[in-house]
Amino acid sequence: MITPGLVEALIWGVANGCVYILLATGLNLIFGVMKLVNFAHGQLLMVGAFVAYEVTTIAGLNPYASILVSMGSVALIGIVLEKFAFRKVRGTEKLNEIFISLGLIYVFQNVATLLWVEYYNIRIPSPLSGLGLSLGGVLLGYDLILAMVSVVVILVGLVLLTKKTKIGLAMRATSQKSDSAMLMGINVNRVYVFTFAVGAALAGAAGAIYGILYPFNPAIGALPTIKAFAIIILGGLGSIPGAVAGGLLYGIAEKTAGYLSNGTWEDAVAFALLIAVLVIRPTGLFGEKGE
Amino acid sequence: MNKRILAAVVIVIIVAAAFVAMWQLNVFAPAPSAEARNLKIGIVAGMQTVEGQDIERAAQLAIDEINAEGGIWVEEWHTKVKIDLVLVDTVNDAAGSTAGPVTRAITDQGVDMLIGGATTGGTLNGQIPAITNRVPFIITGASLNLVTRRGSLPEGNALRIDDAEGMSYMFHYCTTISDYSTTVAHFLADSVKPTLDSTYSFDSTRKLRLAILYRDDGYGRGVRDVTSSIITSDSLPIEVVANVSYATTATTYQSQLISVKESKPDAVYIAGFTADTAEVIKEGINDVGLKSLYIAVEICEDPQFYALLGETGSNQILESKIATQWQGDSWYLPKVGTYVENYGQKFDGKIPGMLGADTYDAVYIAKNAIERAGTLNKTNVKDALETTDMPQSLLIMENEKITFSAGTNYHEILPKTFIEQLIWNSDSDELKPFVVYPDTMPGISSFKQRDFVLPENYEPGSP
Repeated sequence: MITPGLVEALIWGVANGCVYILLATGLNLIFGVMKLVNFAHGQLLMVGAFVAYEVTTIAGLNPYASILVSMGSVALIGIVLEKFAFRKVRGTEKLNEIFISLGLIYVFQNVATLLWVEYYNIRIPSPLSGLGLSLGGVLLGYDLILAMVSVVVILVGLVLLTKKTKIGLAMRATSQKSDSAMLMGINVNRVYVFTFAVGAALAGAAGAIYGILYPFNPAIGALPTIKAFAIIILGGLGSIPGAVAGGLLYGIAEKTAGYLSNGTWEDAVAFALLIAVLVIRPTGLFGEKGE
Repeated sequence: MNKRILAAVVIVIIVAAAFVAMWQLNVFAPAPSAEARNLKIGIVAGMQTVEGQDIERAAQLAIDEINAEGGIWVEEWHTKVKIDLVLVDTVNDAAGSTAGPVTRAITDQGVDMLIGGATTGGTLNGQIPAITNRVPFIITGASLNLVTRRGSLPEGNALRIDDAEGMSYMFHYCTTISDYSTTVAHFLADSVKPTLDSTYSFDSTRKLRLAILYRDDGYGRGVRDVTSSIITSDSLPIEVVANVSYATTATTYQSQLISVKESKPDAVYIAGFTADTAEVIKEGINDVGLKSLYIAVEICEDPQFYALLGETGSNQILESKIATQWQGDSWYLPKVGTYVENYGQKFDGKIPGMLGADTYDAVYIAKNAIERAGTLNKTNVKDALETTDMPQSLLIMENEKITFSAGTNYHEILPKTFIEQLIWNSDSDELKPFVVYPDTMPGISSFKQRDFVLPENYEPGSP
């Protein structure tokens, strides 16, 4: 039976999914183009949340405008990471990339703890907090609506970037065959650094939106990273529509399971869904054989 | 002749005065024993937790005060000995991370006794080496009395301990879930229900609708079960309309709060820790629109809770056992005022929390027992602890005295807890607590500071 509570849980599930979509899309983009698995992607979300918090509280910026600042700042961090860490080991053993990203988890977490030790479970202050539309016993918060709209705008921007621009074309070409792309005159290094910056910017945006909707602290990065990996496997490796569908499905499963099972089964149900999809369709929802 | 008598009297007086002076100067006292050494107290605290840091600071304060007075008198050594604080860092008090540090403190560092332990799960694990090695342990944190009653658990229960002698070294100086759930249930029946009935013209037979939102662990489930049991045994006009749990790893609670909202409660009793309780209240009011009366438990009597909650917490409820942020001209217990002042002076103006207060008292309980035992021998100290009879200190006691219940498995105290209502002060931008229940306490004739009021925008449950 559909109750107002179930509808409310579904809405929160969609909002939850929106954050996962941004995180998983960034992760998928980096993996799709660079074939790089960045386990520290969730830490970029955490940095994004703190950047947005600082510009909102210190500079008095609107929290939704702070999403842009967060995207820019985390993109810059992404450029530094790609140039000075991942590029150095590209072409060597895959384990090198993995260990760099694992090491970065602790570097980011410890630096964040040093910088923001007093900030435990804070939220980005929103002037719309506690306000919303009440529809038949269902509260639809304005922050929820704006968060979802923001994600849609960012995703539309991403699609336009990859489909309608020259760099987007270069990214797609590189993702298909980097050697051939290079022979066609594409500067693959430039494509890689741009891709990593875009992926990082998406994590920054996810962080700012996460910080508006949920409490955060320097240790929040780990679990969203695991979930983002689950989502890209669920949606299909390298597939952006798959990341969108997987993110929504995962977010909704998580929140409705929490609502229906009194809370403690949230993660178990969501991961059970992942296992079920993989058993039925090993390539994920939108994945293709051989990927 | 008279001169000779006078001279004799003068000599006697001089000799007597000299004797008295020498007596006063302890000239006749035995020399301090060469065996005399410092007392080592192991303070069991997880230094990655706010509560653990409070425990360590409070212990340090008490130990520094005692050492400044020369230390603890140990009769068998004819001297005072200083106390060395041995920090037994249990990191985050997780169940699996406490036994190791406690074992090392006993075997490698040779602690004479242990004080502390913040969580029940951590303490159940950490007390085992103390039981095995017969080290007196004053437990100041775990709120489940399982830590003193393991010998009474049914045969086959994994937590049962048959070593009654070892268990007799355990002392529990802390309020339990039963203590504070009793206070909360009676507050709801005595204060909240009449206010609801008069404000909303409810029929007096209507029961107060209570939702319990709890951490899915032994502590949370304990609060859930004990509260229901108290409501039944005391025939209170309260109906539990929802029992909703959340995972201990959860960081957001919207799904659970939506479920609670559907049960249409008049009040929500939260069995959580500092950060999760504050977040539950904020998400309940701001995200889910559950404009109810939220009741937090005493572990949240910590500055971090007040800061995290902010203005959203105005008019919400906190059950407590020590009002470290007491608002009033004079403190309800002068000793609490002195403790808060000294703590602030020593630690950069910090306000103490709740678990540190237990620990501070426990250090003085240890001092009292050792001085009566006259030795650091652990068995003698344990025996002296059993006969503790001191005036109440920072915690309010039912009989105004600190005594431990008799019996090898039940070294427990009789504490009293109370209810504060948090009020937002817009001048200082701070949340401040005021006692609203009960009216009086043992030894405190005028305790209640204001009447309970419903929060602004409060919405009652279904009629």
